[in-house]
Amino acid sequence: MSSKTLVCTGCGCLCDDVQVEIDSGRLGQIENACAKGAAYLQTAFNPERRARSTVRGQPCSTESAIDEAARLLSKAKRRLIFGLDNSTLEAQALAIDLARKLGAVIDDASSFSFGPIVERILKKDLPTCSLSEVKDKADLLLYWGANPTATHPRHLSKYTYYGYSDFNPAGWYPRVTLSSIDVRQTELTAMSQPAFKIKPHGDHELISGLLGESPAASDQARQLSELVKTSEFCAIFCGLGLVHSLGGDFSGFSQMVQMLSQSIRVAVIPLIAETSMLGFSKLLRKETSYVNQVSFAGSVSHGREFSFAEQVHNRTPECILIVGSDPFSALPQSLLSRLQEVDIVCLDHFSTLTTKAADIVIPTAAPGVESSGSVVRLDGDSIALAEPIKNGYPAQEDILRQLLEKVQP
Amino acid sequence: MTSPQNEILLTIVMHEDVHLATVKLRDGWGNAYQKKAAVVRLSRSDIEKLRLKDGVRVEISTAAGSVVLVARADSAGEAGVGLMPSSLYANRLAGYDPGALVLPRKHIEARAVPTEKCITPISDLMVRRNRA
Repeated sequence: MSSKTLVCTGCGCLCDDVQVEIDSGRLGQIENACAKGAAYLQTAFNPERRARSTVRGQPCSTESAIDEAARLLSKAKRRLIFGLDNSTLEAQALAIDLARKLGAVIDDASSFSFGPIVERILKKDLPTCSLSEVKDKADLLLYWGANPTATHPRHLSKYTYYGYSDFNPAGWYPRVTLSSIDVRQTELTAMSQPAFKIKPHGDHELISGLLGESPAASDQARQLSELVKTSEFCAIFCGLGLVHSLGGDFSGFSQMVQMLSQSIRVAVIPLIAETSMLGFSKLLRKETSYVNQVSFAGSVSHGREFSFAEQVHNRTPECILIVGSDPFSALPQSLLSRLQEVDIVCLDHFSTLTTKAADIVIPTAAPGVESSGSVVRLDGDSIALAEPIKNGYPAQEDILRQLLEKVQP
Repeated sequence: MTSPQNEILLTIVMHEDVHLATVKLRDGWGNAYQKKAAVVRLSRSDIEKLRLKDGVRVEISTAAGSVVLVARADSAGEAGVGLMPSSLYANRLAGYDPGALVLPRKHIEARAVPTEKCITPISDLMVRRNRA
């Protein structure tokens, strides 16, 4: 029996204190993990839930699957590489190299989720800070369209509201004000004082009210304005609820943050569920100036037509390489039904609807459990994953490196 | 035969559910997944408008497709809003707008009617690829 401390890659929190016991390759006791983290670890040690090497549904060796994947990627005239948000920086860099060599389009899930806000943060149009700074200095936590109790179960206890070791003799007491804006009642809104319940798509109206653009600003806008202005350091955690409500247009939100920043410190942190979406965005931006939706065909170009969704909608790619992502369980079926004529190669550690739909499946090590490397947490901090538990699966980097060597543009 | 008076218009709002996420990881897309995913939470007033009881089946339709699932009363629910966990059921209802910057997850216009049909099986919601 051996004991090991892991960085949990079950969600974007990347908790670095998860302890596991391993006995003859079997998972024993798990400590400190949340429900999501424990499920991730248990799935990694469940052979029934792992991806297996297949070519068009037939079991094969990993080497054969890699060879066939290289052949399909070489044969196709228009290639698309997608995913990578749960990959290490090392794998992400190799995938970008592969896209460059193939003249392929490369994109990730940020192009239909946090992309607009990540781009503004990386361009420094929106102020941000690390989670440790939030814990040390922020006195107002504002969760907007976010419910970390469902998406990042240990976020509040490890990094923010409950993340303080000091207490008074009467018991735990909050050191910060917790507030939230949401369209529904959640575990978080029940704890928030105050919670602002808005109508679906009511975020824009609330922002307009805060900016003073609406002559009859709502009571909610006035109350929120007072709450923020009486704080010294407000950390705004943005969830998918806000991203989707604003339709990806963060111009008004940025104006609001700029206005509030004139009187107090404001930091914006996207509550990204993937382990290293920010890592992929940073790497791609460093290489191309863009955070997603990039084509390497000829020179580097960028545009909405290079988003995964648009590529699929327009039936553009002939071959898609999907790395560590499951669009078949996350995207509208009306969109996915357009993938009939496309060759799909999937690298994943788990069996997913995408591995079930793929023409070629190449199983990989689970990042953080069976392979190490670096990732970038949702607050921009780089995190080194722990030394891996060797279960015999190749790391995504190993597969991508082989593909990079074998493909012919 | 469903009476048109029993139909209501809804805005479907998708949300994350940690229990569904863990079930999907551990067990994949089986009965446990269906039980947690095939649910829409409606306000009590909408449940009454539909002449439903908590736990009775309802058919939700959009321009993109329709699903049959279980209606649950949500005492904090807003009239005209249906809350659904992000799942294959919600993905059936979501269309794709090429002009939009984000995918429709928080504002899907839908119609709901009571039904005696069976809950849509997961197998009907999986995108099949007929590859040679």
